[in-house]
Order: sequence, then structure tokens, then C-alpha cells
Amino acid sequence: MTAGAPATRTTEALLVDALSAGYGDTQVLWDVSLRVDPGEVVALIGSNGAGKSTLLGAISGIVKTWSGAARYGETSLTGLEPDRIVSAGVLQVPQGRRLFGSLSVEDNLRMGAYLRKDREVESDLKRMLDLLPKLRERYDYLAGRLSGGEQQQVAIARALMARPQMLLIDEMSLGLAPVLVDQLIELLASIHQTGVSILIVEQDVQTALEVSSRAYVLETGRITLSGPSAELLDDPQVKKAYLGV
Amino acid sequence: MKRIGLGGITGNPGAFAIVLGLMVLLLAVPLTHNGYVETVFRNILMYAAMAYGWNLIGGYTGYVSFGNVAFFGLGAYCSGVLAAHGVSNLFAYVALAMVVCAVFAVIVGFPVLRLKGHYFGIATLGVALAVADIIANLDVLGGSSGLAMHQLDEAHFSTYYYAMWLVALGSMLGTYFIARSKLGYAFVAIRENEDAAAVLGIAATRYKIIAWAISGMMAGSAGAIFAPANGFIDPSITFAVDSNVFPIVMTILGGSGTVAGPFIGSLLLAGANELLQRFFVKAHTLFFGAMIVLIVLLLPRGLVWLFGLRGGVRAWIKSVQVYRA
Repeated sequence: MTAGAPATRTTEALLVDALSAGYGDTQVLWDVSLRVDPGEVVALIGSNGAGKSTLLGAISGIVKTWSGAARYGETSLTGLEPDRIVSAGVLQVPQGRRLFGSLSVEDNLRMGAYLRKDREVESDLKRMLDLLPKLRERYDYLAGRLSGGEQQQVAIARALMARPQMLLIDEMSLGLAPVLVDQLIELLASIHQTGVSILIVEQDVQTALEVSSRAYVLETGRITLSGPSAELLDDPQVKKAYLGV
Repeated sequence: MKRIGLGGITGNPGAFAIVLGLMVLLLAVPLTHNGYVETVFRNILMYAAMAYGWNLIGGYTGYVSFGNVAFFGLGAYCSGVLAAHGVSNLFAYVALAMVVCAVFAVIVGFPVLRLKGHYFGIATLGVALAVADIIANLDVLGGSSGLAMHQLDEAHFSTYYYAMWLVALGSMLGTYFIARSKLGYAFVAIRENEDAAAVLGIAATRYKIIAWAISGMMAGSAGAIFAPANGFIDPSITFAVDSNVFPIVMTILGGSGTVAGPFIGSLLLAGANELLQRFFVKAHTLFFGAMIVLIVLLLPRGLVWLFGLRGGVRAWIKSVQVYRA
């Protein structure tokens, strides 16, 4: 617990195996497979509409899986209700923050611990404020009145209050100034140090590849490329399509 | 809930204390031995219970229902049926009404609570109209000509008042304890952001149905006492437009999503309506409407909100502007 984030070191891997999903008649994901090893930071990159958020939704039980499977360690996540998936330790930070706008920052954080039954919520709350001093200043503010960067901090802190072992973070940097993105990256690094596995989904490919050890490229619902992030940064295909180099 | 230490979303504690004090004062109303006054205040308590019911689903959970009158009517008919079988115990009336309304809410809730926003509102309105129509066509329940109910004699008539007082108090305290509990936080999470609630593991469908069932139990209990107190029920009385709209307006004027709001709203609105009717026999609805418009414009978050206001007139003007923007 070097950085003081309330989290549990995970020993489980997230495995997605030939997963297909979609909405109504429209198939969005086609046989997507990926894995996140214990304590690893993995990036999922791809352009708008590639199906990144759908994949996170399918893993966390919000989007129905058509075929294939997602497993976390021994637990099969496919077909499980979202609350069971949260209890299993897999938690999503949804795109666009999705805070409880007319509740205070404190209540937002406490809401993150909704399913917890242990008695360490108070101490986790304290540690959260040590980790994010900005939130201490804003503790009684309505979450909806905060700036975009602060809101994203609240969203991540709220997720951490659930003591996840595996965080799925959707478009963390969307709409934020570069300096704020840098702060959030530091936050991610300190969360990662506590042993939490992280799957980040990003349109900001440069950032995603810099913070992750491995990455997958999702194009129109299919994984087209994968490998160590450092290699993908140099990959001509990735450079051309996503980095504009 | 204590484990995660939530303080509760009850609204201003001062407002709640005042409301509890007013409730105690209302116990004295039958001592006036004035039938008219007693009926006026019994109606205020009835509307308060219905407003608390609406507040749970509309105010706390954020699902604006236009069908809660269905529960009120079902509750009234529960009493009617029991009375026809010779049962005269008011507790039995309320108990049956609560069971029937909860079951009805669960059955109807599964399809209807999947809808959001306007669609939910329209569907609930349809439910209320359908229930009224079905009852109007059931001869067992007296059809459109209704059911007469045996009433207590004059010496014991205040029993209905006290029973309605208990129903209102139960709805108020029920709301208070729910708002302080983990259940209340689930409701508010759904209102604030249903997707975020789901992602955090709050099973939205389950909690929405619970909210609607409790909401229905409150309205149904009010109906169960209204029926014998009124002595006669038919579909047009028990499914009246007023009974549907008043609790919503009262909750919003008093402060929706608070514990004190629905009671303050019903006291003010039902009281004002009564007074205006007495002093302006012809134009009372005009003044009534003007009053509602003024409150909505000047106190967009309800009367209870005044209790939490710090900074005087300036803070008030600023907040009105913020709310409109």
C-alpha cells in the first residue's frame, strides 16, 4: 500500500475469449479475445465506434454477451448480474464520469462502497483524500459543480472505494486539458502500484501506450493488432492510423 | 448502512423537526368537535400520505409517476370489499391495502419500470386509467355506481381522523428511515444516474420496484382509510384527477426528495385551497393556480429549501437564477 489507495492486490487474470456482443440486431464485437494478467496495465485502443465501450460493458455485465466468454480468475462473468461482477472485484469507471451530480463529493465516494460489508470504509475514505488532496477541499461540494478534471478524479476515487481488483477505465482523458491528463496518469500509476490490474480504453493512443505495458487495437469490432505497448508505439500501422505520424 | 457511514438524504433536519411538531399539534384537531375542520385536516393528512408515496418514486428515485392514484383507489376498494364481508377493523383494511398495492406494484413494475422519462409517466397514467376502467366494469365491486360503506357513529367518527393521522405519520417516518438507509441511497443513485448506479453494482430494476411498491403501499393505506371515512366509493371518487395531481404538486412545492417537503406541501396546498374556496367562491381556482405558479418560479426547489438557505435575499436571488439557467 505504498500510495495509500484502498485496493486489494489481485492474483487473478481477466480473460476474454472469442466474445461477441451488440445491440438489437447490430453486432458490434466479433470474437474478441484479450487477457489482462494480475497487476498488469493493458490498453485497448481504437477509433470512435470501434466497440471499445461495448467491450467494457460486456465485461461488466451492462451489455449482453451474445457468445464467447469473459472470466475473472475462476469466476465466469458472462451472464452474471452487474452487482455480482462488482462483488467479484471487476469494476468499470464509465465514460463521461457519470457522477451523482446533486450529491456531495463525499456521498459520491461513499456510494462507491455500496456493496461493501466490511468496516474499513471510513479509513479507505481517509486514504482516498490523502491520495487526492484536491478532493479534500471539495469534499462538501456537489459533484456536478466540479471542473472536468476534478470530476474525473471523483469518478476514479468512487470506483476505488469499491476496492476493485480489476479496474476498467473508459476514456479517462476525454475532454480534459493535457496537464490534467498528466495528473490522472500519475494517479493511475499509484493505483497500479497497489497491485490493481487496469484495462484502459482510450482514443488518446499516445497516452494509452505510454502508461500500459501491453495493448490491443480494436477496429470495427475485431482485434487487429496486439503486443507490448512500446512496440506498438513504433508500429508503422499504428503510427499512421492513430498517431498521425 | 451504518457500515459505510452514510448520513442520509433526509433534507434539512430543522424542517423535519418542525414537521414532526406540526404532526403532534394535528392530534388535537378532533378536540375542536367541528366536523368540517376535522374533514379538512383529515384530507390534508390523506394527501400527505399520498405525497409521501409519490415522493419515494418521483422525488427520491426520479421516476415521475402519473399513476399513483391507482394505488389509492385499489386501497379504497380493499376496504370496500372487506366491509362487504362484514370486516370493520381499520387495521385489517390498511393491511390488505398494503399487500394488494405492493403485489400490484411488483407485477406492473416489471414491464413499466423498464421505461424512462416521459414514457414511464405516460405508461403509469395508462395503468391508473386501466385500473379505474376495470373496476368500473366489475359488478362485484359495484361497477360505476360504487359501493356504500357502513360508517362509525358520530361519537366514534374521529377514529377515522386518528387512523389517517397514523397513516400519514407512518409514511413520513417510513420515508425518514428509508432516506437514512442504504435503500434510500440506492433510490437516489438511480435518480442521479442510473447507468453509474448499475456500474457500481446497484441493481436498478430491483430497487425501482421496491421504491414503487412502498410508494403504492403509502397511497393504498390512505385510500383504505378514506373509503370508510367517506362512507361511499365509486371509480370517479377514488380515481379522481385531483387525487392524482395534488400529491405530485404538493411534493414539488414542498420539496421533492426531502422528508419534510411532502407534508409542508400538502398542508399549504390543501389548506390554501380550502381557505380560497371559502373566501373566493367563484375565483378560487384562479388564485390557487397563481399561487402554484409563484412558488414554482420563486422557490424552484420547494419550500423546504428555504430552511437550508444561507446568505439571505442575495443568495436566494442567485439560486433562482442558477436554477433557471
